[in-house]
Amino acid sequence: MIEVQHLTKRYGPVTAVDDVSFRAEKGEILGLLGPNGAGKTTTMRVLTGYMPATEGSATVAGYDVFTNPIEAKRRVGYLPETPPLYPDMTVREYLTFVAKLKLPGSVSRSERISRVNGVMTKTNITDMANRHCAKLSKGYKQRVGLAQALIHDPEVLILDEPTAGLDPKQIIEVRDLIRALAGNHTVVLSTHILPEVSQTCRRVVIINRGRVVAVDTPDNLTQQLKGSATLYVQVDAAGADAAAALSTIIGVRQVSEHDRREQSVGFEVASDTERDIRRDVARMIVDKGWGLLELRPLRLSLEDIFLQLTTDENQLAGGSKEFAFPFDGAQGDAAEAASESEATPNA
Amino acid sequence: MRNVFTIAGKELRGFFASPMGWIIMGLFALLFGYFFLAHLDYFVGQSMQAQQGGGPINVNQFMIRPLLQNVALINLFLLPMITMRAYAEEKRSGTIELLLTSPVTDVQIILGKFLGVLGFYAALLAVTMLYIGILFVFGNPEWKPVLTGYFGLLLMGGCFLSVGLFISSTTKNQVVAGAATFVVFLLLWIISWLGQSAGPAVASLLDYLSIVWHFDDFGKGVIDTKHVIYYLSFITFGLFLTLKSVDTERWRG
Ligand SMILES: Nc1ncnc2c1ncn2[C@@H]1O[C@H](COP(=O)(O)OP(=O)(O)OP(=O)(O)O)[C@@H](O)[C@H]1O
Ligand SMILES: [Mg+2]
Repeated sequence: MIEVQHLTKRYGPVTAVDDVSFRAEKGEILGLLGPNGAGKTTTMRVLTGYMPATEGSATVAGYDVFTNPIEAKRRVGYLPETPPLYPDMTVREYLTFVAKLKLPGSVSRSERISRVNGVMTKTNITDMANRHCAKLSKGYKQRVGLAQALIHDPEVLILDEPTAGLDPKQIIEVRDLIRALAGNHTVVLSTHILPEVSQTCRRVVIINRGRVVAVDTPDNLTQQLKGSATLYVQVDAAGADAAAALSTIIGVRQVSEHDRREQSVGFEVASDTERDIRRDVARMIVDKGWGLLELRPLRLSLEDIFLQLTTDENQLAGGSKEFAFPFDGAQGDAAEAASESEATPNA
Repeated sequence: MRNVFTIAGKELRGFFASPMGWIIMGLFALLFGYFFLAHLDYFVGQSMQAQQGGGPINVNQFMIRPLLQNVALINLFLLPMITMRAYAEEKRSGTIELLLTSPVTDVQIILGKFLGVLGFYAALLAVTMLYIGILFVFGNPEWKPVLTGYFGLLLMGGCFLSVGLFISSTTKNQVVAGAATFVVFLLLWIISWLGQSAGPAVASLLDYLSIVWHFDDFGKGVIDTKHVIYYLSFITFGLFLTLKSVDTERWRG
């Protein structure tokens, strides 16, 4: 559905995107993850035909965006980093204008009107229909931008930071909307909010300084980075020898105390990846007569992967000490709060 | 073609939806009204003298023609205000990303924008027709030179507007675009002055280059294809430069 091959984009002396290749299959949600200035927006601008690549090619819905831009653009909905709204238009006028621009001439007026109403319902902006775009809050602007991208029911959706500027509740709504759209649509979204990719994306392309650092599912990326698996075990009424006892289980490499409360104690149990030690651990706890309060696999969160990948890259690129923290200040506390609250290990 | 009209319609609505459009329209009507009264005053004086000394004088020749020529002066000041936003504002606000990622060609966008600003300019001219209408109520001017005159004004304005569009496409700042456009218009204007004081050979060259000089015949009621072709080529050239500029911007990013 989307195929990017050896894409390079230079702005004068600055190489913003350097030999990037990836693909997205029909119905999939692909995440582009990277710190500020990684080249996410640039990649998307090439994919949408906004600007040509310096080298390489991009194909969208079977059409090369450079040699067949009109056909490609017909099949792409794009939400740029800043929603492209005209301040003097009302939301309805704006969406009608975009509909005229993007729908083929054969679409009737009544069909157009129902499309406009349809996307307004989908993105929950119907009550703002007659308000001027200039007077919308940031979150509503973002939603109108999303509505605009959906209006011609495109096969491919390219969303540049779709949840930026939304409050936690809206973030969840937009993620649900995006997940609902996948299947019929192929979605590429960019973000530097890490939980977002594990929440919404089936596959992730991690970019740093214009280069692809890793492409995989969030789950596999987690595995890839770990030679060992870790369990979190919380037990009740255990004696002082609990840690020593747990270490005797075959396959366990290391046991460390994680937290201790009045009654209970939590351990991190590291083991070889090829052995699933959960059954053995549970059996031992039952045999010893301890109370089992919690037993769950601990995975490296994507944040950790991200840090690891980008720091490695930094070292390769001349051992630079400066480190780009993956959160954008502009995202504000809302987004961080949201990511906190949703950061429970993913399924 | 449908895309061209969609974009032209959006441009045109933009003028009437913003205070800027109404301010420009008000200023245009005000300046035209000022020239109208000044010429009327002069004309009335002239015709008084003419009545004492002979036959009546022609209202077309002594009033309408010089009045329409003065529109060129109004254009000098007000047309930069029409075109300055056209591209600069889209680039600043990021809406250019919508246009350039929609299934429309650059040529369609440019033609749409040009038709939009030309349509607004036509609306300005329509307002001035109300003044001319007064002359028809109280006098008996010939209507043909009035029509050709307006046709000429539309073409002349088109030249200014195509240059303005080009300048607007080179910057993100609409104030810079407006100021630069004004300066360029002024230079085009000065060319016609120089024409009046230069030697014959240079004068005819400068006249030829002067947008304003080509208007003369239209004011007299004559549509000469030579002038029409000059204006149309000028407009095409301006729009071509705009196309090149948009394309270069695209590559630069
Ligand atoms: N128009 C431009 N002219 C010159 N350099 C640019 C331009 N746009 C982007 N760049 C540079 O290209 C690089 C990649 O920028 P890009 O906007 O693609 O990053 P991004 O991943 O979208 O970052 P962010 O997360 O901040 O949105 C940056 O170093 C940036 O400074
Ligand atoms: Mg970006």
